[in-house]
Amino acid sequence: MRQDSNPLRRRRLSQAQAAFVLLVPFFAVYGVFLVYPFFRGIWISLHDWNLLAVAFNPDAKEFIGVENYQKVMWGKNIEWGAFVSPALQLAGLVGIGLAVLLRRTNRMSRATAIALGIGAFLLFVLPGFHPGEGGRWYDRRFWPTVGNTVLFVSLTVPGVTISALLLAAALNRETRAMAVLRTVFFLSQVLSVTVVTLIWQIMFSPRQGLIANITELFGGTPIVWLTNEQFAMAAIVITTVWWSLGIAMILFLAGLQDISTDLYEAGALDNATGMKAFRYITLPNLKRTITLVVVLQIILHFQVFGQSHLMTNGGPNDTTQVLVRYIYQTGFRDSELGRAAAMAVFLFLIMGAFSVLQFVIGREEEQ
Amino acid sequence: MMRGRAYYWLVTALSIPAFLWLVPTLWMVSLSFQPNEILARTTSSTALGLVPVPFTAENYGALFTYGQTPWWFMNSMIVSLGMTFSVLLVSTTAGYALARLRFPFKRTLTVAALVGLMVPEQAVFIPLYTMFADFGWHNSYHALILPRVAVPIGVFLMMSFFKAIPNDIEEAARLEGVGWLQIFWYVMMPLARPAMMTLAILTFLYAWNDYLWPLVSAQQREYFTITLGLASIQSNFAQSEGLGRVMASGVIASLPVVLLFLIFQRYVVQAMTVGGTKG
Repeated sequence: MRQDSNPLRRRRLSQAQAAFVLLVPFFAVYGVFLVYPFFRGIWISLHDWNLLAVAFNPDAKEFIGVENYQKVMWGKNIEWGAFVSPALQLAGLVGIGLAVLLRRTNRMSRATAIALGIGAFLLFVLPGFHPGEGGRWYDRRFWPTVGNTVLFVSLTVPGVTISALLLAAALNRETRAMAVLRTVFFLSQVLSVTVVTLIWQIMFSPRQGLIANITELFGGTPIVWLTNEQFAMAAIVITTVWWSLGIAMILFLAGLQDISTDLYEAGALDNATGMKAFRYITLPNLKRTITLVVVLQIILHFQVFGQSHLMTNGGPNDTTQVLVRYIYQTGFRDSELGRAAAMAVFLFLIMGAFSVLQFVIGREEEQ
Repeated sequence: MMRGRAYYWLVTALSIPAFLWLVPTLWMVSLSFQPNEILARTTSSTALGLVPVPFTAENYGALFTYGQTPWWFMNSMIVSLGMTFSVLLVSTTAGYALARLRFPFKRTLTVAALVGLMVPEQAVFIPLYTMFADFGWHNSYHALILPRVAVPIGVFLMMSFFKAIPNDIEEAARLEGVGWLQIFWYVMMPLARPAMMTLAILTFLYAWNDYLWPLVSAQQREYFTITLGLASIQSNFAQSEGLGRVMASGVIASLPVVLLFLIFQRYVVQAMTVGGTKG
């Protein structure tokens, strides 16, 4: 029998008490600075809440229910038609068909098929809404802004994914030279958005830019990238691909490490080397990683802000206006906090859907 | 290991895109070492401006004699280190408790903590702004630090690390009559150093590079971080400050994170992978 003569020892905390002590710091901060703000955001979105008016008089807000959501997303005499935006809606229908077909023939997991199906369904339904005769959107800029964000994502994500995948496949060798090359491609990833936009703003400058200097060297006329409606989005996408290729490459490299070398040796016996090996061994075994990287990139790039805010100011003519920048402007330039909060809830719902998808894919991976 | 002719062709072929990838960064560094008067006329003096000839270090001297860059740099250091320390503190404690201790409502609390991973910063910055305004907390270091400490990514990371530690270490200590808090402090914390290192780097990089929250919260220039300060001077770079000096600020702003990356490359890659997949 152990003799507890030390009085300190008898006052030892029980397991539950120790847990309580250890959990309090995190949950206090978490509750106050994340959980509470989240619900407060929903509460603000249900009010007519002017930033300046409420700052001077806390009672200057008025409960208006879902009116902010209406003002942002809806309009007068909105109608729906199946042929309003034929290209997008057709793509949606094709997507639905594809999801059903691939699921039926068991060439796609259930989660991926459902995700594709929902995405394609939204692509079919959402572009169909339009103002009817004498109608108009209450907020003309909201849906075009969402459209720009989706366009930005749908250009950046394939750009990053494809180049990162090819690079990872080429750099997947444990030699000194390859390690140096990996470092080079990863380096831009650690820079801040303001450094990246500083560099590329001047790279793209028609008077001082490196790209303009090279164009002039070959006798061409420099492009006015950032203030030209045709090129502004492209400029932002190029900047973002340069900036964020690193993470995707690293994730692919980790995925490649998990493919057994036996597969390649067996493949070599069947004459599958180089591109053939990439097509028939690497790609199929990397399917999960590719899906994961794509979903992560969508979540990351849907929240784009700095590139648009600092390089183009959302212009020219709103062509690079993106959702987070519109939220920021509505809230802090126009002082319409209620409407901005409603848009933030909209953003959260989209991000939340992709987070759930990411979680489901992660779970599938573990099984 | 493939070491034949094909390998050297591959390395040579990859060196070209790798060099192009470096060019924008090199250009920033090179411009920062050229005189402003020359840059006002042309940015392609020597080798398209990629070589700093004519050379001057004046831009860096100017940064430290006037302008607010050193002050912003200090702010960034205070905020980043403060955030790193706070995140480590709340994440290791909560991560350990959730992973290894038994207590009522454990499952509920774990789920409650991890659901927070779904909430992006962009979705809560408006309510956070009004809260901090009510407290009168804007333009302070704690306003820049606290919102990120609430993000449960660190708890998630430490929890999965502590879960992987075998039970017998803890049991041995229990048999000796060591209390739970002592086990945490003297046994578990030393074991957790690699995971804490990863979390520290992840947090520091995030803090140093964050833009949206400082933009909303710090309206007075004295509380700008270097990331925010750089944004405030880049819109009028050619006119007032001079291109060379703005580029020098950019180099200074990147120096800590680039050094961190080059020295702790393994941890940085690991941190960004975890941060990328789970946060």
